[in-house]
Amino acid sequence: MDEEKKLNGRKNMVFSIISIVILCILLFPLYWALITSLKTEQEIFQNPPTFYPHILNLKSYAAQVETGDFNMFRSFGNSFVISIGATVIAVLLAVPASYGIAKYHFKGRKLMLLSFLVTQMLPVSVLLTPMFIMFKNMHVYNTWIAAVLADATIGIPFSVLILKNYFASIPKDLEEAAYLDGCNKFTAFLRILIPIAKPGVMVCAIFSFLYAWGDLAYGMTFILDQERRPITAGIFNFMGQYGTKWSYLTAFAVVTIIPVALIFIFMQKYIVSGMTSGAVKG
Amino acid sequence: MFCAAALFSIMPAVKYAAGGWYKVAHGACYTLKGEAFMKKIKKMFRYENVGMLFVLPAFVYMLVFVGYPIIRNIILSFQDVNAGNLVRGTKNFILFDNYLELFQDDVFRTSLFNTLRYTVMCLVFQFVIGFILALFFSKRFTLAKPVRGILLVPWMIPVTVTALMFKLLFATDIGVINYILRSLHLTGKNIEWLTTPGTAMFALVCANIWIGIPFNMILISTGLTTIPKELYESASIDGANRIQTFFSITLPLLKPTIESVLILGFIYTFKVYDLVYVMTSGGPVNSTHMLSTYSYKLSFEMFKYSKGSAVANVLLVILMIVGIFYIKATTAGEEE
Repeated sequence: MDEEKKLNGRKNMVFSIISIVILCILLFPLYWALITSLKTEQEIFQNPPTFYPHILNLKSYAAQVETGDFNMFRSFGNSFVISIGATVIAVLLAVPASYGIAKYHFKGRKLMLLSFLVTQMLPVSVLLTPMFIMFKNMHVYNTWIAAVLADATIGIPFSVLILKNYFASIPKDLEEAAYLDGCNKFTAFLRILIPIAKPGVMVCAIFSFLYAWGDLAYGMTFILDQERRPITAGIFNFMGQYGTKWSYLTAFAVVTIIPVALIFIFMQKYIVSGMTSGAVKG
Repeated sequence: MFCAAALFSIMPAVKYAAGGWYKVAHGACYTLKGEAFMKKIKKMFRYENVGMLFVLPAFVYMLVFVGYPIIRNIILSFQDVNAGNLVRGTKNFILFDNYLELFQDDVFRTSLFNTLRYTVMCLVFQFVIGFILALFFSKRFTLAKPVRGILLVPWMIPVTVTALMFKLLFATDIGVINYILRSLHLTGKNIEWLTTPGTAMFALVCANIWIGIPFNMILISTGLTTIPKELYESASIDGANRIQTFFSITLPLLKPTIESVLILGFIYTFKVYDLVYVMTSGGPVNSTHMLSTYSYKLSFEMFKYSKGSAVANVLLVILMIVGIFYIKATTAGEEE
């Protein structure tokens, strides 16, 4: 905690080794799921268990493409459409909203800010039944639209609260310079402020996507047909029907993680900023 | 406030409308002043309205898809709604009957107690482990940043997948945890983790801690970087040892961070749903039901929608009480 200087050779080595050990312990569940998906059913039940697949088995992945009911790649597609839909709604609504909250002091601003804060803390249980009735009345029950509309409600408040800080940190001079150059409020917002806040917009898009991708409750409750359900609900269904078919189940899990892994590899800096600025004072 | 502003904006207009008489009485100069004032007011109004326009779409969306459902849920909990009269049909108001029934319901009491117990256990462990890791990774060794980055992965993974992974780890026959315990001769026969009441809760807590560690670690890490280095330097000059420094500098200066980590952690853990639903579905024999899963079971498996809503409202009330602390902490720095 107090070391300003970099650690020297030997200490550096020791700390690095400890950190690798911590990493291995904490990521073990992921590794275990991955290798289980690559084992044969026979090997999975072997005792003592094998810590890497002795016979590489890709059937669990291939079989999913062929079978109809529990096609995980179709579930993957469903999740993708739902998550992208929710992300688009969340970003389109949250970007202007956060700008308005950051830059204008209109009447009711505090109340609106507070309502976004509160919605972040809501449990899904409170919303499930009323949304269920609402979507039935809107005739969108059992469609992607229901899940998209519901998932966006997680992304919007998060995005507003994160982006508000980005917009607030942009100096007023910049906006005023834009007015001098002939911009009005809306064109200044579109051409000057949004490009500057782009990293913030990325954070919002990524988190809205991740929230929607990880959702189970909405997808499962508002969509009845397996062919339209997101991948998380697919896993849950599959577990109910083939409880111990671990090679298939873990293959399902690995496929679900793919987009998360890609986001992590290519956009790690946004993740850190989203996780920290979401909770620290605004 | 609003009325006063409106009145002010009208006043110059009235004076202006009075026209000729006004000019004669006070001279052209004053009118000009009035006009300028009116313009200013108008401008102020337009400026404020623009801000409102930007926020309105998101606000209305949340009002329709979150605000209305909350109110609907409260109304539902005072009615008697089941599968028959959910979408149409008459809904009888039975007022507090649902709530009164709940407090005599053993499963509800278990769920309430479980949720509290689960939240406290998770919070303690994920906070302590997260804190230790944050301190460890604040040392500047070569792998510090990359490894800390990778450790965020558990937090990002869909909870359904995490639940599945821990189900696999805690599986009776093929579970690695049983294998390790057997190899260390800590247990003779395989433990049925997820089908025994006490151990099922333990498995759930483990899975949740795994998700929570990265969150605690990264927030505390960020908090640590805000502590000025000079404080540590002067402390070491004064001859303070590490433990003294930790308790007299690190902890007090981290207080705001620790507060928000714990409150947010409480909120996220207390409303747990996916993890429990996938891992145990509240079983065995209702022993791991949380408020959220019990509410789901009542509404969507037993079709007692009103009773389910009542359980959800209890959950909501508890969260809101804790939420007040969070809002206080978050908006404390907001005042301009």
